[in-house]
Amino acid sequence: MEEIQYIGEVLWPRELGHFAILFGFVSSLLATAAYFFATQRRGLPEFSSWRNIGRGAFILHGLSVLAVIGSILFILIEKRYEYAYAQKVVSDALPFKYIFSAFWQEQEGSFLLWMFWHIVLGSILMKTARNWEPPVLAVLSLIQAFILSMLLGIYISAETKIGSNPLLLLRDVMDIPLFNNADYVSLLSGNGLNPLLQNYWMTIHPPTLFLGFASTSVPFAFAIAGLWTGQHKEWLKPALPWALFSGAILGTGILMGGAWAYEALSFGGYWAWDPVENMSLVPWITLVAGIHTHLVARSTGYSYKSTYLFYLLSFILVLYSTFLTRSGVLGESSVHAFTEMGLEAQLILFMGAFFLLGGSLFLWRNKGIPAPQQEEDFASKEFWMFIGSLVLLFSAVIITASTSLPVVNKIVQAFNPDFQGYVIHDAVAHYNKYQLWIGVFIGLLTGAAQFLRYKEFNWQGNVRSFVKHTAISTSLAVLLTIATSFWIQLGGWQFWLLTFCGFFTVVANADYVVSFLKNNLKVAGSAFSHIGFGLMIIGIIASGLNKQHISSNPMVQRSLLDESMLEKNVLLFKNTPMYMSGYRVTYENDTIEGNLRTFVVNYQKLDDQGNVQEEFSVKPAAVYDNKVTKVVAYNPSTKRYLGKDIFTHIATLPEKEADFEKAREREEELVYQTYYFKLNEPLVIRDTVETAAGQPAILETEAVVKSINRNPSNLDYQPEEGDLAIGATLEFRKKDTVFQAEPMVYLRGQLWGSFPVQLNDLSFKVRLNDEILVKMMEAETKLEYKKFTFKQGDEINLNGLTIRFAGVNKNPPAASFKKQEGDVAVAAQFDVSKEGEKLGTAEPVFLIRQGGFLTPKAELPAANLHFYLTKINPDTETFEVQIAQGKTDVFDTIPVQIAKQSYRTDYIVLEAIVFPGINLFWAGSLLMMIGLAVSMFRRMKAKA
Amino acid sequence: MKKIYIVAVVMIAVAIALLTNASKDMSTYANFEVARESGRAVKVNGLLSKDKEMYYNPSENPNYFTFYVKDTKGEERKVVLKAAKPQDFEKSEQIVVTGKMAGDEFIASDVLLKCPSKYKDEEVYIKSGKGT
Repeated sequence: MEEIQYIGEVLWPRELGHFAILFGFVSSLLATAAYFFATQRRGLPEFSSWRNIGRGAFILHGLSVLAVIGSILFILIEKRYEYAYAQKVVSDALPFKYIFSAFWQEQEGSFLLWMFWHIVLGSILMKTARNWEPPVLAVLSLIQAFILSMLLGIYISAETKIGSNPLLLLRDVMDIPLFNNADYVSLLSGNGLNPLLQNYWMTIHPPTLFLGFASTSVPFAFAIAGLWTGQHKEWLKPALPWALFSGAILGTGILMGGAWAYEALSFGGYWAWDPVENMSLVPWITLVAGIHTHLVARSTGYSYKSTYLFYLLSFILVLYSTFLTRSGVLGESSVHAFTEMGLEAQLILFMGAFFLLGGSLFLWRNKGIPAPQQEEDFASKEFWMFIGSLVLLFSAVIITASTSLPVVNKIVQAFNPDFQGYVIHDAVAHYNKYQLWIGVFIGLLTGAAQFLRYKEFNWQGNVRSFVKHTAISTSLAVLLTIATSFWIQLGGWQFWLLTFCGFFTVVANADYVVSFLKNNLKVAGSAFSHIGFGLMIIGIIASGLNKQHISSNPMVQRSLLDESMLEKNVLLFKNTPMYMSGYRVTYENDTIEGNLRTFVVNYQKLDDQGNVQEEFSVKPAAVYDNKVTKVVAYNPSTKRYLGKDIFTHIATLPEKEADFEKAREREEELVYQTYYFKLNEPLVIRDTVETAAGQPAILETEAVVKSINRNPSNLDYQPEEGDLAIGATLEFRKKDTVFQAEPMVYLRGQLWGSFPVQLNDLSFKVRLNDEILVKMMEAETKLEYKKFTFKQGDEINLNGLTIRFAGVNKNPPAASFKKQEGDVAVAAQFDVSKEGEKLGTAEPVFLIRQGGFLTPKAELPAANLHFYLTKINPDTETFEVQIAQGKTDVFDTIPVQIAKQSYRTDYIVLEAIVFPGINLFWAGSLLMMIGLAVSMFRRMKAKA
Repeated sequence: MKKIYIVAVVMIAVAIALLTNASKDMSTYANFEVARESGRAVKVNGLLSKDKEMYYNPSENPNYFTFYVKDTKGEERKVVLKAAKPQDFEKSEQIVVTGKMAGDEFIASDVLLKCPSKYKDEEVYIKSGKGT
C-alpha cells in the first residue's frame, strides 16, 4: 500500500517526546547505578567520580522529563489534535487557564506531575543532603525509572506493552477511514476537558496532592539509606523536616480534595469514604505515625525499627493507592478512578519491587538496628506515643482492609469464577463505626501524653503535675461537652465520649502551651496539630452527625416507606415561593454562560410570625457538556455562616432543560392545531383532560386576538435591519382569570424563526408560524406602488403621512443586501412623520454589483410603508423611488397555532442541607497542617 | 513479657473481633429472591429493563422515581427510588440497587449506575459542521 503523505502535522513533539522518554528512562537507571556505586564506595577515592556521574545522570533525567512535559504542553497549548492526548483533553473553546488541568487529567500527565516533583525534591536533596545524597538519590532515581517506564510505550507483543506513550498521534493509536485523507488534521476537533474538572480546584488540588505523594518518597529513601548504610541513628536528623513537610503537604492535598468535593461537587459533604480518598488518607496516617516514632527515636533511642517500618509502609501504601486508582480494579465502587490504561501488571511490579526492597533490607539489617535492653517506662512519654502510633497503624489497617475488598474479590474470582464478590452495604456507616474509636484513643493520647516526660526517671516527682493537669483538662472538657450538647445533638454515648475526647486534647494542649512551653509558639507545632485534631473531631460530629436536610416538604404525605428514607428534595417553580423548614425559598431566575447555567435561589428566613428575619441568595449551577446539549453535573452553592453552612444544590432539572436533544424531541411531539382568529372575535379552545376520578372532561378556554403588532419584541429576539417581524397579542380566559400571550415570528433573509409562548397555568403553548408571514407577503404583492422623484429636501404627502427626502447615505447598513466584495451601494434616507411626530427613517438602497444593479426593499413597519429606490440620476441629482403603503386589513384571518398539554418546565428540584459547625472541621484540619509546618521549620533551623 | 507485646496481643485480638464483626457490614450481591426471603436491606445487581416504563414526574413528587430491573437470575421487579432521578439514568445498563422488598416492589434507598464506556466512532473526532 502506498504511504500517504499527510499535510499539516507537527511531528517534532512526537520525535522529541519519544526520544526524551527513552533517554530519561535510561538516564534514571544510570543515575541509580552510579549513586548505588557511590554509596558502596563511600570514603574511597572513586566515590566522587561515581557521585558526579550520578548527579549528571539525574540532571539529564530531569531535563528529559521536562522535555516530555514541554512537548505535551506544546501540543495542548497549540491544540494539535493530530495527537491523541491533545484530542482527548483540550478543545478550541478551552480557556488557557485550564491547560494545566487538561495536562494532568489523564494518567500519563499525572505520572509526569509526580516525576516533576521528584525532580524538584531530588535537586534540593542533591544540594542539601550531603553524605546522604548518594543513597537517597539512588532510591529516588530508581522510583523515577519505574514511573517513567509507565510512559515508555514499547510493545513486546501485540497485546503486551510496557507503558503508554502520551505523545502518540491519533493515527498511531487507531485506524479509521479518516486517515485516508491526507489533510485530515484540518478536520479534527478536540473533546475538551471534562466539564466537571473545569474549575480552579482541578488547577491546585492535583499538584498539591502529587507533591504530597512525591514527598513520601523522601522519608522512604532516607529509611532505605539508613538500612543500607547501617547508620540507623544518623539519618533521623536530616529526614525529620522532610517527613514533617510530607505530612503537611500530603494532608493539605487530601483536604483540598475534600474542599473541592464539598464546594464544587454535589456529594453533599467533604468526605465520602470513597476508595480513592481512603487510599490517599492511609499513607498520611502511617506517615504521621512514623513522625511520632521518629520523634521518640530522636529523643530516647527507642522505636528505630518502627520508624523504619512506618516510612517504608507509607511509600508502599502510596504505590498501592496508585495501583488501586489506576488499574481499574475499583471499577464501579469509586467515583474518581482514572480510566484504565492496561498497565495493571506494571503497577503491581512497581509496588512489589519496592515492597521487596524495603522488606528484605529491613530483615537483613533487623539484628543490627539498635534497641535499648530496657523497655520503655510505663509512665514515659515515649511509651504512650508508641501506643498512639500503633493506634494510627490500626486505623490504617482497618481502612485499607475494607477498601481492598474489590481487590480480594478479584483475586478470589481468579480462582473461582462463580464467586459473587462481597460489598459493604453502607460504606460511610461502616468506616465511621470503627474510626470513631480511633478518634477516642487519639484524642486521649494526644492530650494526656503531653504532660508526660521522655525517659521518665522520676515519676514520683512528675505524678502530681500530671494528675493536676490531666484533671483540669478533663473537667474543662466535660463542661465544654455539656455546653456543646445544647448546641448540637450528640446522639448516642459514643458520640458524647468522642466529643469529650476532642475537647480533652484541645484543652490539654492549650494548657501545655501555656504551662510547659510558656507561650513559646515556635516550639508549639505539636500542640497546634493536636488542638487542630480535637477541633476537627468536634467539627465532624457537628457537621456530620447533625447535618440536616431543610429541603423537606412535610406537606407531602409519606407513603409506605420506612423513616430512614426521608424526603430530601423540594420542587420550586420559577417565581413561586415555597416554604420549607422556616425558610421561604424562591427560584428567581437563571442565566447561561458558556456551559454553566446559574440559578438564583432566594432564601428568606422567617420567624414564628412569618416576618422576614434575614434574606440571601444562593447560586447553584448546572454544568452542561462542552457542546452545551446536556447537563453533566450540578454545582452546589453554599451560604456560609461562622457557625453553620447552608448547602444548596439542584438535584434535577426538568428533562427538557437538562437535555436539549430531548427538549427538541418533546417539542416535536407537541401537537399544534391552527386556529383562525379574527381580530377581537373570541374563539373557544377545547381540551380533553382526565379528571381526578379518571373520567374524561372537556375544559373550555376562551381565546381572542387583541391586536397585531408590526414591531414586536421578545427577550430572546434581537431585531436586525431588514427583518420582517410580526407579533400578536392574545388573551385567554379560563373561568375568571385572564392570561396574556404575545407570540411572534420573524423573517430574516430566507430564514424564519418563531418565539412561542408557554402558558403554564393552561399547559398551552402558543406560536405564530410561517402562515402569517406568507399572508403578509401575499399582502405585499397586492401593494400598489407609486413612483415619486425626489430632490434633496423634497417632501411629499401620502395618505396623511409626510415623507421627506433627508439625504444620501453612501455607506448604508448592509443588513438588507448582504454586502459582497466590489459592491457599490447608495441609500436614500427618508424621514417619515405623521402630524409632526416622527415615525422613523427608511433607507432604500441602490446597489451596483458585478455590472448589474439591485434594488432591495426597505420597509418602515411603524408606518407600514414600503420603499424601492429604482433609479438615481446623477445629472439632475434626482432619485426615483417607488413607495406603497400597506393596508391594515390584510389580516382578515389571523392563523395562530396552539398546542395543548404542553407542561411547564420552569422548575428546579432542590436539595438543601445545613451543616452546623463545619468551619470547626476546616479550621481544625488546617491547624493540624499548620502545626506540622511549624514543626518542620523548627527542625530545619535545628539542622543549621 | 514486655508490655509492648501485651499491647500487640490486645490489639490483634481487637482487630480479629472487629473484622468478625465487620462481616455483618458486608454481603454478596443478592437477587430479588434473597431480598424477599431475608426481608433485610441488600444490594441487588442487575440490568436495567429499558423496554419497561421509567416513571419520574417531579411536578407530582420530586422524590419518586420508578423503573424495572432484571436481576442475575432473570427475575424482573419494579424498583421504587425515593429520590430524584439520577443523571444519565437511561444510558446505564448494569445497575446496583440497595434496599428491601415491600410487597412486589423493591424499595431502593440508593442506586449505583454503570454506564457503558463511550462508543467512539469517527465523528467524535471531526469538527461539527456549524460554528467554530
